[in-house]
Parts: sequence; C-alpha cells; structure tokens
Amino acid sequence: MAQGAEWGTPEIVPKPPSDPIDNAAASAPADPLVALYLARREILLRFFAGRTGSWAAAEDLAQELYLKLSERPPGPEPENPGALLYRIALNLMLDSARGSARSAAREAEWRRLNRTQLGGEEVAEQAAADEAAASRQRLRHLIAAVAELPPQMQRAFRLHKLEGLSHAQTARAMGLSVKSVEKHVSAALKALTARLQP
Amino acid sequence: MAHDRRPIAGAPGPPMIRRTTAADERCEAAAEWVVRLAAPDLSEAEALAFDAWLAASGDNRAAYDAALAVWIEFGAEAPAVLAGLRAERGVRPRWGLRPRYAAIAAMGAAAAAAAAAVIVPALGPATVAQAYATAAGEHRSVTLADGTRIDLNAATRLTVAYRRHERDVTLAEGEAVFDVTHDLRRPFVIAAGDRAVRVVGTEFDVRRRAGQLSVSVARGAVEVVPAGEAPGEAFRLHPGQRLEHAEGAAQARIALIAPDEALSWRSGRLVYRGEPLAQVVADLNAQFRKPIRIADPALAAEPISGVLVLDDETAVVRRLALLVSAHTVPSDGGVILQRNETPPKR
Repeated sequence: MAQGAEWGTPEIVPKPPSDPIDNAAASAPADPLVALYLARREILLRFFAGRTGSWAAAEDLAQELYLKLSERPPGPEPENPGALLYRIALNLMLDSARGSARSAAREAEWRRLNRTQLGGEEVAEQAAADEAAASRQRLRHLIAAVAELPPQMQRAFRLHKLEGLSHAQTARAMGLSVKSVEKHVSAALKALTARLQP
Repeated sequence: MAHDRRPIAGAPGPPMIRRTTAADERCEAAAEWVVRLAAPDLSEAEALAFDAWLAASGDNRAAYDAALAVWIEFGAEAPAVLAGLRAERGVRPRWGLRPRYAAIAAMGAAAAAAAAAVIVPALGPATVAQAYATAAGEHRSVTLADGTRIDLNAATRLTVAYRRHERDVTLAEGEAVFDVTHDLRRPFVIAAGDRAVRVVGTEFDVRRRAGQLSVSVARGAVEVVPAGEAPGEAFRLHPGQRLEHAEGAAQARIALIAPDEALSWRSGRLVYRGEPLAQVVADLNAQFRKPIRIADPALAAEPISGVLVLDDETAVVRRLALLVSAHTVPSDGGVILQRNETPPKR
C-alpha cells in the first residue's frame, strides 16, 4: 500500500494525534495491524470524517480504533491486514456504545462551526462583529448555491443533508431508488464544492 | 488506474457523451466518495477502494478534502440554510421538472395556492381542540390525522388543535416526543409556557416540568421562539442539540446531547449526563406513585450520570441511592433520600 509521505494534515483537523499514538510510533509496534493503522492514520481519519460528517467524531473514532487494535490478543499474522483493519473500523461504527464519546465530539464540532448567536453561557463563543458579518455573508453564499441547483439535485440534497433523512428515506420521499438519490446528492455536492471553493 | 476508481463499481455513466477533464472527474469521484461513505451499507471492499483512491494521489486527497469541507459546513449550517431557502421561496416549487420549466411551475403552484386560499375557508371545518393526558406511570401514543405521532410521557397534559394554516399543540405539563409529518403549508407549533416551538417535519422531545423547559432534537430542525411578549432570543436547533430554559428568564442555553438518550424514556430507560438529582427525582415521581423526596438542597444539586432502567420502583430507588451514596428512609407513603452520614473511606 502506498504511503503518502508528502501529505500534511488538512487545516480543519484541529490537533495532531494524541500522545499514546506518538509514543507507540516511536517504539515500532509489533502488531502488524497497529503498524498499518499508524501508517494509514491520515486516510482513516478522512474515512471516518466522511462516514460521520464530522472531524471531531472522526478523531474520536480513530482513537477508539487504535485502542481496539492495541488491546487485541496476539494471534497469527492476518492474511489481509488492510481488509481486517477496515472491517474493524466499520464494525466500530456500528457499535452503539459510543454515545458519550460522540456527544463530546459533536460539542467540539459545533463549537468550532457554529457562529450564530446563543443565549446564556454560550455567549462567550459569539464571534466579533466583522467575523459575524463575514459568516452571514458566507451563509448567504451557501443558501444561494443550494437555490441554484437543478430541482432534483436540490431536493435530494435538501432532504438528505439539510433535513437529515437517510438515503433510504430520501428515496422513498422522492419515489426514486437509493442509488439515484446517492447520484443526485453527490452531483449536488460536486456542484456546491465547485461553486463555494475559491 | 487507481485514481479512476469510483465508489459505485461498474455503474454506467450518463448515456450522453461528455467531455470531462481529469480534474473534473476527480471532483466528481470525490463528491461520490463523500456521499457513499455516509451510506449505512458501505462494504469492506468499498472502504478498501476508497483507501486506494485516496492513497493514489495528493490531488485526490485535495479534491476529497474540498468536497468534505463543504459537506461538513452544510451539516453544521443546515438549519440556517433551510430557513434561508424557505425565506427565499414563498412558494413550494414543483420538483422533478427541468430547470428551464421551474419558473412556469412556480407560477402554476402560486396559482394553485391562490385557488386553494379561496376554496378552503368555505370548506374548512370548525377547529376542535382535542385534549390528551396521562396519569403517573402511564405512557400513551397518539397518531393524529396527518400521521404525526406523539408519544406522551407520564403525568403529561397537552391539547391539539389543527387549524387551516397551523397545527397547534399546547403542552400544559409534562413531556412528549413528536414525530411530525411534513407539511410546509401548515407549520406545527407547540406552545410551552413562555416559549413556542416551531417545526416543519422532524422528531424531537419537548419537556415542561416545574417551570423548566427543554427541547431536544433527534431529526430535522426546530425553532424555539419567545411566545408573545416574553423576553429572549429565538433559536434554531438541529439534531443533537437541546435547548434548556427556565420559564420567565430571558436566557436559554444550548447543550449537546445524544438524541437517542433524550428520547429513551419511551423504552423505559432514563439517561442522565450530569443532571442534578432533583431533576432525576422529578422524572421518577412522574413514573411512580410513591413520591420520592430529597432530604437536603446540597444533595438535590448533586449531578447524576448513568442509565436508570424503569422496572420496579424499590429497585430503581435503590440503584439511584447507590449513585449518590445516599440511603432511603420510608416516610408517609413515600421515601426520602438521605445522604450517608459517613462517606465510605478506604
């Protein structure tokens, strides 16, 4: 597997991996899965971020995955470590006992992204006036970009991403197949990305 | 070549011939991956294909990061973007038409809406408010005419009145989970003390007990606005957020929650993450007939974290006592929670 030596951490990722992983990296781990994890951590982070729609949740899951791998009892060398790594990663996400870790992750994400005004204790998070104006401007761009999408794309994107319906629920609401919904949503995302990137 | 791989293996492209650049294809693949990764049925083979695609080139990673950043931004701003879209378009568009027909369709819809506005008042039935209530320990599930479902927690009173332009619910006391059927023309509004909760189509929990209001959103978007002249700001909540407000106060605070936990009372579980003992006892007193009281205010303020399974009252109270190192003393028909005299030392 190719390891991208040239890539840096994306700017949105808040902080470098936490200590246990760095330590482990320093003393070359014996378990091939842990070694593979360390080599592919940046890709796994992107995998989890795509899966959850949140960098903070992705950091959490990557950490959980690391713990799970390092707690594995020693056994025979796996035939296909890459496949096993992703199988464990996918199962990790089905595990329902991660509520508290996730709510902490959501909180971090929300703190980072939310710039709207809030009452009570969260007022401290309020942005400075010029920053608030910039974020209102950005919000107008987001709204305009969605409004310009062709109708089917717009509706699929709106139902799935903005109103939080699953792919299957969106498909039922639109009378389409799940695959068609995924196509509309990804076409919408492609158009939005092109429109909103500098 | 690795960078040509797509999430949907072998999916045929559009029938027409398109001239696309490598960069364009890359952006398309990136967007497809972001969407595909979010699918619940993502396979191990797809995960490996994604890994290979991402590892294949720095350009792939840059394209993926750009699409993912936009995806996450829309996730965080979903309620505000939805509100903006609604404000921009007073008329519900007809979907499924090609863009150049959209303007005509919108006019058609406007005409239809105008016609409906003429007809409906003449035919609209007189509004009758329907009241629903549960006793202590009783749960009840109600399905309304439009398919909206309300699960009432114990000791709850609410009334429902469906009007021409609005579906009104008044929560007098208690807690309920609302799974609201979409109807853009008839917003769903819940009056709860000095706040109104406005909805388009979503699932959320509203709780009003002892002057404390909380609104927890599991799906969709909800607006909470001061009712009438009540002071305070309006808030838009999205999934995973909870608004907490003391009636009469101008302020509200927003907390982050796991939606499943907020709605878990329906399956006989109460989940707490640092809520004061007083709130836990208030919840239990709604579920059980024998009242529980707390001996002193310091104990009442003690934060509780844990899951209480609502089976037998005696067992529940015993487990609760263990959480706060307290014991129970029987007292006229109920129990009193008292702090243990000497905290266990080791």
